[in-house]
Amino acid sequence: MNTPLINTVLSLLFIVTSGFLFTEVATPFLAILAGLSFLNLFLGKFYKKLNGLVANILAAICLVALFVLVGVSDTVKLFVSMMLLASSFKLLQAKTVKQYQTVCLLVFFNLSTVYLFHQGLFETLVVSVLYIVNFAVLGYLTSPQSFKAANKQSFKTILLALPIAAFLILFLPKIPAFWQLPGPKLAKTGLSEQVNPFSIAKLAESDDLVFRVEQQPGQDLQAPYYWRSLIHDEFNGSEWLISDILKSQQFNPIRRTITQSNSVNYQVIAEPSSSNWLFGLGFAQSANSDVHSTYNGLLKRKGNLNKNIKYAVTSSEAMLSLNDFEKRLYTRLPKTTNPQTTALANELAAEHENAQAYFNALLDYFNQQQFAYTLTPTSMYGDNTLDQFVFDTKRGFCGHYASTAAFMFRVAGYPARVVSGYLGGEQTKAATLNIYQYDAHAWVEVFFDEKWHIFDATSVVAPERLNGSLSQLGDLNESFNDNLNFGLKRWSHFKAINWLRIHLEELDYKWTNWVLTFDQESQQSLFDSLFGNKSAWLTPLIVLGTLLLSFTGYFLYNKRPFRSREPLVDDITKLYLWAKKQGIEPVDTNTPLQNIALIKQQKPRTEAYLSEFEQIIIEVRYQQQSYNQNRKNRVRVLLNSLKTAK
Amino acid sequence: MNSTIQLIIDDLSTVIFGKQQQIKLALTCLFSEGHLLIEDLPGMGKTTLSHALAAVLGLSYQRIQFTSDLLPSDILGTNIFDAKEHSFTFHQGPVFSQVVLGDEINRAGPKTQSALLEAMEEKQVTVDSVKHALPSPFFVIATQNPVHQSGTYPLPESQLDRFFMRISLGFPDKQAEKNLILGLNNRNYDDLPVRINPEQLAVIQKEINKVTISNSVVDYILELVAFTRQDKHFVNPLSPRASIALARAAKSWAYIEGRDFVMPEDVKAVFPSVTDHRLGLNAGDSGYALKHVPVSL
Repeated sequence: MNTPLINTVLSLLFIVTSGFLFTEVATPFLAILAGLSFLNLFLGKFYKKLNGLVANILAAICLVALFVLVGVSDTVKLFVSMMLLASSFKLLQAKTVKQYQTVCLLVFFNLSTVYLFHQGLFETLVVSVLYIVNFAVLGYLTSPQSFKAANKQSFKTILLALPIAAFLILFLPKIPAFWQLPGPKLAKTGLSEQVNPFSIAKLAESDDLVFRVEQQPGQDLQAPYYWRSLIHDEFNGSEWLISDILKSQQFNPIRRTITQSNSVNYQVIAEPSSSNWLFGLGFAQSANSDVHSTYNGLLKRKGNLNKNIKYAVTSSEAMLSLNDFEKRLYTRLPKTTNPQTTALANELAAEHENAQAYFNALLDYFNQQQFAYTLTPTSMYGDNTLDQFVFDTKRGFCGHYASTAAFMFRVAGYPARVVSGYLGGEQTKAATLNIYQYDAHAWVEVFFDEKWHIFDATSVVAPERLNGSLSQLGDLNESFNDNLNFGLKRWSHFKAINWLRIHLEELDYKWTNWVLTFDQESQQSLFDSLFGNKSAWLTPLIVLGTLLLSFTGYFLYNKRPFRSREPLVDDITKLYLWAKKQGIEPVDTNTPLQNIALIKQQKPRTEAYLSEFEQIIIEVRYQQQSYNQNRKNRVRVLLNSLKTAK
Repeated sequence: MNSTIQLIIDDLSTVIFGKQQQIKLALTCLFSEGHLLIEDLPGMGKTTLSHALAAVLGLSYQRIQFTSDLLPSDILGTNIFDAKEHSFTFHQGPVFSQVVLGDEINRAGPKTQSALLEAMEEKQVTVDSVKHALPSPFFVIATQNPVHQSGTYPLPESQLDRFFMRISLGFPDKQAEKNLILGLNNRNYDDLPVRINPEQLAVIQKEINKVTISNSVVDYILELVAFTRQDKHFVNPLSPRASIALARAAKSWAYIEGRDFVMPEDVKAVFPSVTDHRLGLNAGDSGYALKHVPVSL
């Protein structure tokens, strides 16, 4: 056993695995893990292992460090860290083949934990390579060969497993997990039906493309671009939701007259998405058959979500009036919540009589009170989060401002709602805008003068956010790039890298779209497209079929007729079988050449063929030359010729 | 067939008629650096063959006629007091030659037999706790009468094992015997031309080492050996030493046949000679395993 090599490879595997947790687990703890691996690398060079007592003391120290540095609040991270630590120590003390095998087994689990945090194409590829290496170590431990050969073997094994994996993913019914791990808690920008910014401590930016907009000649869009997607009309004291009333109105819209003006036409190409909302400016309507236009001027997807969709939109300013029901809907508030903010709103409302004045007063308030825009807000818990935000922290991103402002409008009795969608867009070609996940935004719409007016406190706190995409802002750029993990975005001023980025994004989309988002629904639609609507009884059938196939495959494999691994032996057997048919019984204690001589004697006409066959037997079986394709072909021809020679 | 070896065989065939196979086996044994035991009834040509072999290989040889009163020192040599020098000097016995012809080895007592057998194994002789190296190459060609004859001390199995091969000549066919009666054979084997010198012999042995033995042939040897260990027919199963000897002999046989690779045919050719005496079989049983073990394809 080549201990130093195995030691080195396993240590490197640990270091890389720890590296993947860089964004997830406290850096000092990762430093400890890396330190242990380096220690092992160092000791391995001298064929040494850690002394038991030292190892135990070290383990105790590391365990304390684990609890101090990682903490117990996030159980997933805690357990992942604990497992990594334990496996590192196991490696530090491994001496025998069996112990190294145990470490290899642990590495499989360690590698799999990476998927808890990263599921992207890049991570998947890297982890797959690590799997191959780990398999190779395992193979190398059990049957010593060259490590390169072990890697090759391992790669082949994984390749063999791929079709099986694909089959299982595609056809095995998606059963919910037996136990559910609490998912890693890191909110990404992007939209959700609830807006609760207050519990978020750090916003991870995603530079995924959401949709593209193609402008039409002569129909330029006016910045700032507020792409509306969702309307949140219900405030429950801490977060903004879409009420059931609003949801039901999608199917039973309120009829009323709407006067539209300043219409503008453009096209949107939306990327596949896990949800059905689409994007439009202002009061948007689309005639596309796959798009549903709601009476609120929002657009929704009708068909398959996992497809790009291109639709034409007409956006306009809408003049309308609210009925009493709607007025009540948009001014509803829970009874006692956020008393300080309520008091402030009442105070401001008393000072400013009409809606426009109140609107301006609120903007001034956010402008003057030293509010700051940040992507790393302080997280808040408990009741009255708005009060904490307005009077204590004063730091937040769009969600904080929108929630607060909508609340304050409602306190003053003005119909208001939180709208989420995207703000801005990156001008790529002359008439094309790209909108990414990090452009996600939330703002307020407040109703007065027969119109919904956009109120965006962000515009006064961080005015530059309004113009163009977040990525183009100077001030925020730094904190923005800090939040983009390993993104190529920050290098996008290099043309080649930008080109690469765009193509990688596309690739990553396909991965996300085809593999990661393949859920029960996608499976169902696959079945539907494959087998029509008979798929109800198809699932159990596929399960049964798979089981049956596996069992028959297993039995066939075990019962398979013996095929000798020695070259040429099967062909000699064929010759003997032929001889038997001719009434010549080859003697098994005879050498092949003796038997061939026997056949020659009985069938003199075959002599020429058999002599050649003899020569090949001598070359392959006794002179250890390879049974190459040439010889194989020749033997096939000879065997066939025998039959005609008689 | 190798031309030099063909010449040797031809030469020997002028001495022993109609025994090409046995001559080839004897050469196989010597090329494999093994000691040869020739067993047969008296008057079959054992001694003639052994003398002719030594002569034709151009090696120094001495003949020891084993008798029941032969002592170890008669073979090995002895320390004799030199009155002039006032010291003992070692006088080499007949064992100190490249080829030792031990005639009728089983007529001597066990003590004397084992003195020779020790020399065969260790290629050295210890007299009064002083070691004396034997010349190289060192071959013992011994002859013995069948065990059941009177006045013999049968060699124990452990000592038989030291002989690489045992061959027996068997009766000549009618024509050969007629020629013998007519005196057509070359009785004067000392006059045989020397065909190879010790250096050439060393080269031949080196080349035999390079002969290819493929897996399928090794498998066949293993199956033969395994058969002797499983079948009740055999009292003394073959040892690993025997398997090694079998492979080595097969290589030499292949070389004599002019090939640089071994075939199962070679194994079959040498198998009885290499294994019969180790298995404790007599000539009638020889090749029992060959008739029962299938040849691996």
